[in-house]
Amino acid sequence: MFKYVSRRLAYAIFLLFLLSIVVYLIFGLLPIDPARISCGVHCSPATVLGNRHRLGLDVPLYEQWWRFICGIFAGRTYGDGAAQFTCPAPSLGYSFPHNECVTNVIAGAFPFTLSLAIGAFILWMTIGVSFGIIAARFRGTFIDKAATAFVLIGSSLPTFIVGLLVYIAAFLMHWIDPISQGLWVSPFSDPFGFFKNFIFPWITLALAFAAIYTRLTRGNVIETSSEDFIRTARAKGVSERRILIKHNLRTSLAPLVTNAGLDFGGLLGGAIITESIFQLPGLGMISLKAVLHDYDLPLIMGTTLVAATFIILFNLIVDLAYAYLDPRVRIA
Amino acid sequence: MSSFLEVKNLSVAFPTEDGIVQATNEVTFSVDLGQTLAIVGESGSGKSVSNLAIMGLHNPKSTRISGQAIFNLESGPIDVLTAPTETVRKMRGSTMSMIFQDPMSSLHPFFTIGNQIAESWLLHNEGGKKEARARAIEMLDLVGIPSADRRVDDYPHQFSGGMRQRAMIAMALVNNPKLLIADEPTTALDVTIQAQIIELIKQVQKEFNMAVILITHDLGVVAEVADHINVMYAGRLVETGPVDDVFYNSDHPYTRGLLNSIPRVDSFHGGRLSTIPGQPPSLIHLPNGCSFQPRCSYAKHVFGNKCEISMPELSQKAANHLARCHLSEAEIISATKAGA
Amino acid sequence: MAIRQLRSSKVRLIASLSAVALVATGMVATTASSASAASHTGGTLIYVTNADSFAHADPTRVYTGEDIAFLNTYLFRTLLSYNPTVGQAGFQLKPDLATDTGRVSDGGKTWAFTLKSGIKWQDGSALTCEDEKYGVSRAFATDVLTDGPTYAIQYLNIPKDADGSSSYKGPYKKTGQALFDKAVVCSGNTITFHLNAPIGDFNYFATYPAMSPVKAKADTGDKYDMNPMALGPYKIQTYKSGAEMILVRNPNWSAATDSVRTAYPDQVTMRFSISEDVRDQIFLKDSTPNAVNYDQVMQPANQAAFFNSSASAGRGMNVTGPYTRYYATNVTPGHMDCLDVRKAVFFAINNKALIDLAGGVRFYGKLGDSVINPLAGIDYAPTHGGIHDSNFNIAGNATYAKTVLADAMTTCPDTYARVTDPKKGIAWDVANTATGQKAATLIKSALNAAGIQVNFNFIPSAQYYPTVQNPAKQGDISTAGWGADWANASTVIPPLFIKEGGFNENQNWNWTGKTTADPGIGYDAWHSRVVANMGQTDRAKQSAEWKALAQIVTDEYWAIRPLFSIEQEYWGSKVGGASFWLPQGALLFPALYVK
Repeated sequence: MFKYVSRRLAYAIFLLFLLSIVVYLIFGLLPIDPARISCGVHCSPATVLGNRHRLGLDVPLYEQWWRFICGIFAGRTYGDGAAQFTCPAPSLGYSFPHNECVTNVIAGAFPFTLSLAIGAFILWMTIGVSFGIIAARFRGTFIDKAATAFVLIGSSLPTFIVGLLVYIAAFLMHWIDPISQGLWVSPFSDPFGFFKNFIFPWITLALAFAAIYTRLTRGNVIETSSEDFIRTARAKGVSERRILIKHNLRTSLAPLVTNAGLDFGGLLGGAIITESIFQLPGLGMISLKAVLHDYDLPLIMGTTLVAATFIILFNLIVDLAYAYLDPRVRIA
Repeated sequence: MSSFLEVKNLSVAFPTEDGIVQATNEVTFSVDLGQTLAIVGESGSGKSVSNLAIMGLHNPKSTRISGQAIFNLESGPIDVLTAPTETVRKMRGSTMSMIFQDPMSSLHPFFTIGNQIAESWLLHNEGGKKEARARAIEMLDLVGIPSADRRVDDYPHQFSGGMRQRAMIAMALVNNPKLLIADEPTTALDVTIQAQIIELIKQVQKEFNMAVILITHDLGVVAEVADHINVMYAGRLVETGPVDDVFYNSDHPYTRGLLNSIPRVDSFHGGRLSTIPGQPPSLIHLPNGCSFQPRCSYAKHVFGNKCEISMPELSQKAANHLARCHLSEAEIISATKAGA
Repeated sequence: MAIRQLRSSKVRLIASLSAVALVATGMVATTASSASAASHTGGTLIYVTNADSFAHADPTRVYTGEDIAFLNTYLFRTLLSYNPTVGQAGFQLKPDLATDTGRVSDGGKTWAFTLKSGIKWQDGSALTCEDEKYGVSRAFATDVLTDGPTYAIQYLNIPKDADGSSSYKGPYKKTGQALFDKAVVCSGNTITFHLNAPIGDFNYFATYPAMSPVKAKADTGDKYDMNPMALGPYKIQTYKSGAEMILVRNPNWSAATDSVRTAYPDQVTMRFSISEDVRDQIFLKDSTPNAVNYDQVMQPANQAAFFNSSASAGRGMNVTGPYTRYYATNVTPGHMDCLDVRKAVFFAINNKALIDLAGGVRFYGKLGDSVINPLAGIDYAPTHGGIHDSNFNIAGNATYAKTVLADAMTTCPDTYARVTDPKKGIAWDVANTATGQKAATLIKSALNAAGIQVNFNFIPSAQYYPTVQNPAKQGDISTAGWGADWANASTVIPPLFIKEGGFNENQNWNWTGKTTADPGIGYDAWHSRVVANMGQTDRAKQSAEWKALAQIVTDEYWAIRPLFSIEQEYWGSKVGGASFWLPQGALLFPALYVK
């Protein structure tokens, strides 16, 4: 078990390492010169050169990459003389558009993304699993048909349309105040304010997932209910209720752990559309701006690696959780 | 004195989009404590369906069941087809138990063997988990699982096929049932294991003095363990009687066909194995007259085209021995000699 | 100053004390209230913007006019300030940190300012002359502190290196520190600036935050952008990119030393990252009555709804802004080097359709007759020709354009052949936006009707100016926009039309032609006249020369079809005192209060 986890972790680090190379290569191949773009209004060739040095772009690509890698372990120092400052380890570089170490930018954005992901996750799992179970239990009835309609609508409406509709409705009903919407409110000091900030984004993000999980749960429960071991349980005299809860769900929901873990891990990299509509400056929004607006390589690199780390990490967690749930899967 | 279980005119039908599938049609039989009834027939002949109906394991929404299945218990007779579902549920696993063809898929892969046996015990007994576990170990020991106290915590996938079926039997017997229905319990097992399982069933039946219904298509197994045999074809009982009598004096062409299709080590007839030509009929559109008539080589010995017109009654051919054929026992014997 | 492509345009401009009045094409602003200050005090004023943060909040780096006005009102104090009042009086310079508006000597080459005493930083320490000197020195650290105005580098008497950069490299590297210490001298509370040439309007530059003090110990270089130290009535409590900046009262600010600032609200909040749709809705619905729009634009789809509605009466103004927008022609040989071709393009374009596309003459801009915006004051005069030519038609005049193009056949046959060849044509740089795409279609059909071929180079909007301001990458024609930095065309003609100006999208230093007016002059003579006029201390003569030079720009079609910009200011129903601050081209921030 320990051996397995450490081997997987080593592999994960190797993957992240490769990924960092790929991102640097892509950025190096783009016909964009961040030094010129951020050079400002009085852009002379000398300023571009100075800027290139300031941004750390005056050395070959492989050295930029190597400095980045070293920075993770040793921290990085920027600037000269009185204007010198350090991004302490683990440093993912310095974001010049944000005037802030990338680690700090990400740390500032992460609470938004995490809150959004956790809340939406709870919402969609609750709705999706319970709707799925109810639909399967009352298969073929009006309830099942209503659930199927929910699945169709929920999974076919694009998130940006749902988000805009929710935003407009909430704004017109005075449930959203655009001025405070998206400003960080700690769930510990002001739970209600936190809830107010996130409830509509949660609904928006959770809708499509809830639909998908309703479909998955319904399908799995129905499939499991025709398994031989369910018949065995029935032959033992187990009540229908207990068959569903103990014998069926354990098996039906186990595969959902994989989906849920990977979906949740993916969301920790940022939910661009929902974050943008609801003005939540999470990882998705800062990544989007870093790519589209600022050509902020250090920040792009930082958010990419953070997102990739979560995906890889949750892959591992999912595998471990699945092994725990299904005794047939053994980890060696 | 009536038998322990009396099944009367049991019919099971499944309405489908294509029509009504009449899986079991007016089946009547009985079985007594200490007795083993074998039910044989091809796949789809209705042998499992009728027994699942007795166990109350059909989904009432998609099944139409009629007839009676009366358990003559000490507390009085109960017709499980009309009794409240809760009453029948409580009988399942205690009064009547069932084991299935594929022990791998019939055991829950996520729970230990011990857990699954204990659950069955806890459902029908007052007692704690410790007691249940002790009982599970005891049962595993009884069915011949070595070091049962250790293996009780194994998961089904850690057991071999034969051990799984032993575990299934242990689970079925944990509450001292009066009736054990074994639905092709050896089909999924290796030949060597098959014999052990059959031996085990025989042994536990003696020990528990149960009524056993053994569903199988293996006539060798039937010869070894059964007292009485029911032969089914296309949802109907076509022959019933004591095993020896039916084996040596089969009164139905289908039974004869089945018997002739068994490879026999002591047979040097030199010929190929005989098979029954044709396919079992569709249960939605049964042929007119005798259901077996399109495949029956004896039909030509029946006067006129009676077989195509009327379904023969299940009629007494010998003592305690009934068959559903227009021909009498003597006519069948002579027809066989004539090379039917 | 330049118009940024993506972010909402924020400008600073000037006009002079003279003639040209603000042209309000929409509602007229309420005038500054004469009610007592006490009744205006208190509450929270909330500014709303689509931007994620200030482009810069470091005094050395901030160069967008509205940001300058905002930060000067609440956070910074400068040597001098514009008079915080409506109308022409707003152009008056008022002493702020200084005791007077500056003492000039040495024929305009030496300027001295004396700091008031008793002024404190937000940490309670006293403001010193050294702080002022340090603040000015930071402009020279161009490698760290980008984007700010460079007038200090241009004007101060410090030698230049061979590459044209200053020999003083700023307070971080300290290279050439002695040279700076000689040019800027502190004596007690008096700071003296030694210039390399007479600059008559140097004190206008003293209204810039780039000329304001910075405390050396608090300077964090690049990071100072996020946490500048306050001298003004408010200090930063929170400043988070993508979220908000909250300004709260600065207890160390004393109204007694400040004759400029009113400091009405208890708190001022700048809310960033509000999408344009949401921003417009906040004001259309008046959902936050104490909010003020900071973006100076409204989405075209909402403009009519807002400005025609009685519900929003008294909550907005549609005002002539300080920008002039135009199409710049790259006159380098091989590009738009032929006057007749440039002229044909001008007459062919359907200006009506192009303006309507961007919001129409009411909300976007109206046709102009000079590259110098009327709000620049005495230096503006309508030029001859251009839109006043009898052949000009606002919807395009293909017939006349063809006639002019026919002349090009003989005057410059090579260029004629190129622009009429469907495989070549004019290379036109367009920002790759939905509007840019539509504009390209309109331009193409109008030019084709006149027999001119065109190909578009669509550039991602964030890279638009970096691309077209790169001489190697610029096409034949590109978009340009500019507003004066203060009430002198010395902040218009030189930046745009000489090589060292910094915003030259004409590349006219490569120009091989001569002007048409008699006697014709080439680039060198043009350059000499511009530079000479920058040092002209007779304001009337200087103004006459700027007008003459602007006429040449029109005649040579370096700036095709100037457009005088119009911008939108709007606010919630609980905001009082809203009016336009002419010299800053923005709301009169000091007068805003919460009702």
